[in-house]
Amino acid sequence: MLAAQIIINALVLGCLYACIAIGFSLVWGVLNVINLIHGSIIVLGAYLAWGAYQSMAISPWYVLPVAVPVFFVFGYLLQRLLLNRVLHAPVLVTLTLTFGLDLILNNAMIYFFKADYRKLTLKPPMGSVSLFHVVVPVDRLIATVLALALTGLLYLLLRHSRIGRAIVAVRLDRDAAILMGVDVRSIYAIAFGIGAALAGCAGVLMALIFPISALTSSSYLDKAFVVCVLGGLGSVSGALAGGLLLALVEGIGSAAIGPAYATTLSFALLIVFLLFRPQGLLGRKGFE
Amino acid sequence: MADSPIVELQGLCAGYGEIQVLWGIDIAVRRGEITALIGSNGAGKTTLMRALSGLIPTQGGIYFADDKDVTGDRAAQILARGIVHVPEGRRLFGAMSVEDNLLMGAYSRKVSRGELNRDLDRVYGTFPKLCDRRHQAAATLSGGEQQMCAIGRGLMSAPRLLMIDELSLGLSPLLVEQLVAALRALNAEGMSILLVEQDVITALDLCHSAFIMDMGRIVRHGEGAQLLADPIIRDAYLGVLET
Ligand SMILES: Nc1ncnc2c1ncn2[C@@H]1O[C@H](COP(=O)(O)OP(=O)(O)OP(=O)(O)O)[C@@H](O)[C@H]1O
Ligand SMILES: [Mg+2]
Repeated sequence: MLAAQIIINALVLGCLYACIAIGFSLVWGVLNVINLIHGSIIVLGAYLAWGAYQSMAISPWYVLPVAVPVFFVFGYLLQRLLLNRVLHAPVLVTLTLTFGLDLILNNAMIYFFKADYRKLTLKPPMGSVSLFHVVVPVDRLIATVLALALTGLLYLLLRHSRIGRAIVAVRLDRDAAILMGVDVRSIYAIAFGIGAALAGCAGVLMALIFPISALTSSSYLDKAFVVCVLGGLGSVSGALAGGLLLALVEGIGSAAIGPAYATTLSFALLIVFLLFRPQGLLGRKGFE
Repeated sequence: MADSPIVELQGLCAGYGEIQVLWGIDIAVRRGEITALIGSNGAGKTTLMRALSGLIPTQGGIYFADDKDVTGDRAAQILARGIVHVPEGRRLFGAMSVEDNLLMGAYSRKVSRGELNRDLDRVYGTFPKLCDRRHQAAATLSGGEQQMCAIGRGLMSAPRLLMIDELSLGLSPLLVEQLVAALRALNAEGMSILLVEQDVITALDLCHSAFIMDMGRIVRHGEGAQLLADPIIRDAYLGVLET
């Protein structure tokens, strides 16, 4: 029964990890930008959910439809106004730029919300479901289902929409995409906007589960990074595979040798993958 | 208007950053004709096509399309005029399906889904092999099928001038014959074609007129048949075949 509980926990957490990572993976894959502001956007999403619940008692799942356009515009403008200016600069320049932006956003959040950990506690609590002695809190289950839905939406968007095809095309062959009349700069901005929207939504969902503080942004960023390396860049399914693998390893690891080592274990796995399978589980060229 | 060239260059210079490759190109591509561009490796044919499609900026000279000065226009603007570039090496989106590649060709056209489907059917009519493989990833196609897909993708952009770089590279003679027949049919329907082709006999046989390039300059211009009979051309480009 304990084993079943560990597996279920890992599945639930894995979907959330995937949701944390897909936006990061999309931006990395399409723009070739390692977006260091990703973690802070997730936290901002969490604060949005927290604020909406505290002040207006709006449940996080109702915040999602607002978070999508708000964070999309935020990301779109960030790319249009700042990142597009350093498109052809060496990777260190974009890294430095997103690092600087992250410092600004993160410190702004510390300034406005203080560094205290906040908790979004639903009233009344939603309780939990149990089946064959496996217990899952309902709010966590809802977050998982919504995370999966977001992941699925991105998949559909990339596979079956005109803009999605253009995003994939730019990633596969930039010059050929230009020959099709694709405006690469605007596609980059849209991809970054989608990445930010996904990060914001992930944050809204995380607010249901984890304590909220600007200080947690780096742990979200770390997770996104590890998931991308494990699952492989370039596909939604890769992010899902990476998220599940990471959650399983953390879950089994902390049950076997203690929770203190879970992070150590996941980074050890990261190094193993970088050495022996740098393309990740499902990595390939082209985002699908 | 009917007799004016669809595309005309006057003293066009272009290259890559500091490197200049084209040195004052003067060409006129006649409407409704097949024009060939011939030259040895590194002559600058691909570079000229890139300049024509707006993929690289010009460094001097004037570019007219339909008698309008389009010098410095972006690739999307040139494409909107129906000037379509099928690039060297096909440059398909390998991980995408054949049909998605074709749909990418129509990316910038504002047309209804119904019209898109009609155009898809037209391409499948021209290249039935593509229809069988419409859901297959483009990277898994054979070389010949990839070239069909690349041309099909170009056709989806609704070209008035179709520019094809290296039509026959790596393809069997039989397949080249099929492609040539397809191009003739498209031309008969009124489409202008600009063709870069290594196989000089095929090119001169197919085209109405041809430009010969060397070291970034146009060195000869004439009717296909006339160039084919020219001893200097035969010596320079067909020498091997005559022994
Ligand atoms: N991206 C590039 N950067 C710098 N120089 C380039 C680039 N592409 C081509 N060149 C140079 O431009 C010149 C012309 O190249 P181009 O590809 O236009 O020749 P081509 O006539 O198409 O040759 P081929 O028949 O081999 O395809 C060559 O000297 C080449 O080295
Ligand atoms: Mg070439």
